[in-house]
Amino acid sequence: MLVALAIVLACPVPRVMARLSVLRSAPRAALFAWQAVTLSAIVAAVAAAPAILPLVLFDGQAVWQHFVVMCVAGGVSLVMIGRLLLAGHRIGHRMRVMRTRHRELVDIIARHDSRDAALRILAHPTPTAYCLPGRHRRVVVSQGVIEALNERELVAVLSHEQAHLRARHDLLIEFFSVIHETVPALVRSPAAMSEVRLLVEALADRAAARRAGVPATTRALDVLAGGRAPEASMAVSAAGMAPVRIALLRRGWPNPLLSTVVYTYAAALLALPCGLVALAWG
Amino acid sequence: MAPIASSAPRLGDLERAVMEHLWEAALERPEGLTVREVLDCFSGQREIAYTTVMTVLDRLAKKALVSRVRDGRAWRYQPCDTREALTAQTMRRTLDDMDVTDRRAALMHFLDGASEDEIEDFKAALAEIETRRPRLGLRRPRLRRPGKKDTA
Ligand SMILES: [Zn+2]
Repeated sequence: MLVALAIVLACPVPRVMARLSVLRSAPRAALFAWQAVTLSAIVAAVAAAPAILPLVLFDGQAVWQHFVVMCVAGGVSLVMIGRLLLAGHRIGHRMRVMRTRHRELVDIIARHDSRDAALRILAHPTPTAYCLPGRHRRVVVSQGVIEALNERELVAVLSHEQAHLRARHDLLIEFFSVIHETVPALVRSPAAMSEVRLLVEALADRAAARRAGVPATTRALDVLAGGRAPEASMAVSAAGMAPVRIALLRRGWPNPLLSTVVYTYAAALLALPCGLVALAWG
Repeated sequence: MAPIASSAPRLGDLERAVMEHLWEAALERPEGLTVREVLDCFSGQREIAYTTVMTVLDRLAKKALVSRVRDGRAWRYQPCDTREALTAQTMRRTLDDMDVTDRRAALMHFLDGASEDEIEDFKAALAEIETRRPRLGLRRPRLRRPGKKDTA
């Protein structure tokens, strides 16, 4: 049962969830559900081997056979946990090194702002904005952003980045990246990864819209996604995320009913493998 | 919000100040400045020890931001790149990183979630601006390996 659950949670469920665009209307609840699916799949996979134990232990086998079965079951679980921890450590370390290196460079080459100690302005005409999460956080914008946006739109961009930093969205992305890199390629789901990324952006867009209003936020998105000199500008590709994010902002705030349904679904997902383990041993 | 010390001059602030002096001097003194000359740039601004300037220059050399050349008994330090070139490089690298899952998560880009087409467009726009902008004439010894002694 647990094996089946792990497979279902790892394969078809994310695929379906990635397609359910209703979920995008309630990004916070949806992200919670994504974490629930992921955690639940991991618990099911890790618990599968030990849960088989009660089935084989009471079959009247010799004692040494019990021992071998238990070792194999425990070993499988340990290997899975070990792989996750190792990937987590490796990816986390790599990200921190990259961020530190980038922060030190930006601190030297970019202009500092007298009002916001964490803001850095790169002297470059191409509009771009990003943030460096972590202990020494930075928000980086290019001169191009300052020139292309009015004050309200600039507030939208800065609020968006600050929302990422405040809510530690980087940890969320890191968690999903670790899982994404650890699971076998067969069950890896790029659609799920990009959906999670979109939800995180939608969440930060909402925070921006609360501060600067929906029109200013959508225009800021439009300008930054355009991100090019006027003479080179062409139609934004239909597959791009900026149009989706703009549409989401215009769709308005989440329906409380939808959020409740999604949260309940997430809770059920978390309860499922735990219940099955209890059943197997009970 | 952000934990940034403002009272004590941190090493990071000094690195920036030293780089700024080196960039400023680069047009008239392409051969670079000695530690003593860098120290003189600070006179009247802030009190710094000779060894501090040496430490800062050493760190900058390790980061491949400055290179040093032997001049008699002293070393001359010069910036590896203009500030403009470094800025453009940095911008380009943040976009290159968007192709790789975990590197992409290191910086949270405003455009995160952008399609490959969008990123390509963006890079093209960046390249276009690069070519349109006249390069600042500055001798730029390419120094890739950190801390490597320049022979030029
Ligand atoms: Zn964002």
